[in-house]
Amino acid sequence: MRKVGLRVITITLLLVMAYVSNPVIEAAKPKTVTLKFWHLWTTPAETNKVAIDQVLANFKKAYPHIKVEVDAVENETYKTKIKTAIAANEAPDVFFTWGGGFSKPFVDAGKLLDLTPYLKDGTSKKLVGGTLTYQTYNGKVYALPFALWAGIMYCNQSLFEKYNVKIPGTFKELLAAVSVFRSKGITPLEVGEKDRWPGMFYQNILAVRTAGTKLSNNALAKKASFNQRAFIQSAELLKQLVKAGAFESGCLGITRDESEANFRLGKAAMYYNGSWVAGSLNQQQAPDVYGKIVARNFPVVEGSNGEPNGFLGGAVDAFAVNAGTKHPKEAVLFVKYVAEQQAKIGYQIGALLPAWKVQVDESKLPELTVQISKLIKGATGFVLAWDTFLEGADADTHKNLVQEIFADMITPQKFAIEMQKLNSKK
Amino acid sequence: MDKVLADKKAICLFVLPAFLLFAGIILLPIFVSGYYSTLQWDGIGKGIFIGLRNYVDLFQSNPDGFHQSVGNAFVLAGLSVFVQLPLALFFALVLAKGVKGENFYRTVYFIPVIISTVAIGQLWMKIYHPSYGLLNSLLTWVGLTNLTREWLGRTDNALWSALIPVVWQYIGYHMLLMYTAAKSVPTEIYEAALIDGASATATAFKVTIPLIMPTLKVCVTFAVIGSLRSFDLIYILTNGGPVHATEMPSTVMFNAIFQKYMYGYGSAISVFIILACLILTIVIQKGFKNRTNLD
Repeated sequence: MRKVGLRVITITLLLVMAYVSNPVIEAAKPKTVTLKFWHLWTTPAETNKVAIDQVLANFKKAYPHIKVEVDAVENETYKTKIKTAIAANEAPDVFFTWGGGFSKPFVDAGKLLDLTPYLKDGTSKKLVGGTLTYQTYNGKVYALPFALWAGIMYCNQSLFEKYNVKIPGTFKELLAAVSVFRSKGITPLEVGEKDRWPGMFYQNILAVRTAGTKLSNNALAKKASFNQRAFIQSAELLKQLVKAGAFESGCLGITRDESEANFRLGKAAMYYNGSWVAGSLNQQQAPDVYGKIVARNFPVVEGSNGEPNGFLGGAVDAFAVNAGTKHPKEAVLFVKYVAEQQAKIGYQIGALLPAWKVQVDESKLPELTVQISKLIKGATGFVLAWDTFLEGADADTHKNLVQEIFADMITPQKFAIEMQKLNSKK
Repeated sequence: MDKVLADKKAICLFVLPAFLLFAGIILLPIFVSGYYSTLQWDGIGKGIFIGLRNYVDLFQSNPDGFHQSVGNAFVLAGLSVFVQLPLALFFALVLAKGVKGENFYRTVYFIPVIISTVAIGQLWMKIYHPSYGLLNSLLTWVGLTNLTREWLGRTDNALWSALIPVVWQYIGYHMLLMYTAAKSVPTEIYEAALIDGASATATAFKVTIPLIMPTLKVCVTFAVIGSLRSFDLIYILTNGGPVHATEMPSTVMFNAIFQKYMYGYGSAISVFIILACLILTIVIQKGFKNRTNLD
């Protein structure tokens, strides 16, 4: 009885297993090719999302034989997700990435498709000059950029008028404006320092104003020292702003989203962040401040050798193709289409500045986008946000150091010394 | 069927699938982590074997707040054992004694355990928000304006602010464990205590608590280990910030692996967490054993 019982159980188990593992006979394959595509725009509050949806719909019409499966998660989550997927060889065929330090490990490990041979058909001529710089590793292009970005000082003009303050053109005027707004209970400068990079923007642009773009780029590339007057000064000035109450004292616990919501509600006078912010300052999402925001350059620092028209920014946002894709031809076709169209449609709705030479009706562009384009036409140089230029651990260290300035835990000298340590190691 | 289960081979056969699953999902990754922790590896390319250097870095020259994170984890463990568990025990005993609306209270205390941590995190972020948060609004309303502060945004009070929700969240969980244990104590014993004239407090301390000691041991173990590997709420509330003030070993690990591409170093932290949990479990078990022996 015992043996019979065992056998019955064994046979049943085996049958179940056989049934489960029996391969399902696949239906006859249609000729269409399916590509997986990942990006990081999840809500229509990000105008890029509006653009990409339209681009994908157009692509579907133009190339019905290529089916695109889209997946999107929020920015910080995306960074984790794409790294994990690439490490596990499970990355999608085409995906969003950042040039510079972010993609370097992918390139080093041979996970990205070399796009250089595919660009000889005239594609590279359609791109705005210099935009491939941060997508090029060892002389080869591994991703197609679609957007240029630049750091912009957004000023809420109605608050400036209400309290009779001049929109600051110099650092002294900025400090004066800060003290007026502070006394009126208005946040002078918005920052979501919990996410660390928004605060880093302030230090980075101050370094452009005190050291200039050339010196900043050289220091980042380990060709110049961070431990010199200009960079110490950038930290000093930031510290001065913190001490003057330019930022909310609780900013270390506030995310970028929360801080931006504050700005859109008209509770803050100024906000220095990327040009992408302009897209969300439209009538639907920011009815309180729509039409009252003007785009300016970050104030000049008096008596320093920095660049008044240097910008924080560059062309880093890009789409890359997985080296292991089964359909390289279709994937390359798709990546070219998406990069160019995203640039075009995104530009039209004010989500970005195009990395492609696109033809759009300039009179229909949002007012802020026009202002930003004008500012950038006067650009004398660009520096990438330092956390994109630097790699992994160095980027993290840098952001922590800036956060320590916000928390008043580090002296400007120490900041410069610690930054230089990144250059001198190895 | 009894005969089948008496057969050693049959036992093996039935245990094997679960064991394989357990080994594949839990044991194997632990050993693989151990191996990774000896590499200098960005998680994508090829790793270089560097022996124990990751551990040396971890304990000696780390700028990422690891030491602080271990300290924080012990603060949380202390709070869990000396604040969370006594509260849970108090609620459990009161409820088990039978109060009006027992079921209602039991459900209410258990709600935080059911709600997703992300939701709890968002909830507390709104409570702590410096400008429109519930806490600051309340303080202003009662006239204690000087007590209002940036609860999660200042290095000196962020840790306490972040730990309170963590401790609060699991009170209901421990309460339920203790409540169930207290309920399973035979009523005859309570009746005997009652006849002997024992007060409610005396019954609790002399009868219920000694009888539910095994459950308390489990609760203490869970609380301590849970503190060491606590991650989710801290990640949402502060992400270890500001300036490492609220860092936990697991947030340091997460940032090392996913922000800094330091897979080997992160694995070393994970091995540290595993070992710390194992050692503390043994210590707690020993501690409880000694006590029972003394009795």
